[in-house]
Amino acid sequence: MATNILRRAASSVMKETFLTGTLRRSYASVAVGTDIVSAAPGVSLQKARSWDEGVSSKFSTTSVKDIFKGKKVVIFGLPGAYTGVCSQQHVPSYTKNIDKFKAKGIDSVICVAVNDPFVMNAWAEKLKAKDAIEFYGDFDGSFHKSLELGKDLSAALLGPRSERWSAYVVDGKVKAFNVEGAPSDFKVSGAEVILEQI
Amino acid sequence: MAPIAVGDVLPDGTLACFDAEDKLQQVSVHSLAAGKKVIIFGVPGAFTPTCSLKHVPGYIEKAGELKSKGVDEIICISVNDPFVMKAWAQTYPENKDVKFLADGSAKYTHALGLELDLSEKGLGTRSRRFALLVEDLKVKAANVEAAGEFNVSSADDILKAL
Repeated sequence: MATNILRRAASSVMKETFLTGTLRRSYASVAVGTDIVSAAPGVSLQKARSWDEGVSSKFSTTSVKDIFKGKKVVIFGLPGAYTGVCSQQHVPSYTKNIDKFKAKGIDSVICVAVNDPFVMNAWAEKLKAKDAIEFYGDFDGSFHKSLELGKDLSAALLGPRSERWSAYVVDGKVKAFNVEGAPSDFKVSGAEVILEQI
Repeated sequence: MAPIAVGDVLPDGTLACFDAEDKLQQVSVHSLAAGKKVIIFGVPGAFTPTCSLKHVPGYIEKAGELKSKGVDEIICISVNDPFVMKAWAQTYPENKDVKFLADGSAKYTHALGLELDLSEKGLGTRSRRFALLVEDLKVKAANVEAAGEFNVSSADDILKAL
């Protein structure tokens, strides 16, 4: 039902756009060719973890540089853990196809959302996806803000979150990038699409 | 905002949850608490240990006893979104009485003066751990923990105030 709320919010934005004649869609600063490490300097993500793991690692964070440098990464972002399309379609499309990603030499398949790392961990365990995918939390939205992929989903009672998107990144350079027209859509950010782009 | 204290009037605010038909609802705190005896306990975060393994279970176990002492509602609030609160509530299938309500934007926690910055733990602005006993919107007991502690806000502690 969150997707219905999002669809209504999206269609009201469309109506506004039609009436005012100006396109209010914000453009992501990330595109093919972007160097993700330079676009998000000093930004870190938090690996999904239990609280005990958090304590023993002294709540360490992973820099964007360490995630992407020297690696072939497929990364996808979604509006929120435990929400409909995210749980039922987006994550499963990647878990189902993990062998195909490995066969293409991908080092990491990463899922990121504006949630804390403890919620991400519980969610990843519920979806039985932790073996295939690395889950990271962007708890304050700074990663998504740097890439201009932040989106206000207060209408769906989610607050500041992100677009639904996917990217293929080699040694920090974006080789393929897909972002949905609306976060409730699931047309271009799934595993099948990006597999064709690798 | 100064932290809420005994003798204060409970501020109104809006919290979110999924109802029995799985529809997203916004709930006014006053609509739940006016004219009633309610316990509101706050936790820093869904799916974190003290919250999940000690604080919440204590209220679920003692719900019967609390109700027999005239408590009408037992409400758990956290700065999490309603999807996360619903998923977290589902990990307590034995729960019949505790309502899990989401203060996603921390607005209500701020109105109570009980917010806490837990950014260095990857949590952002959250709520302190606390328990309030409120009778017809008047705060009768306000037990607020120091950061990281669990000494005054459990169900056993609030039973002493009844």
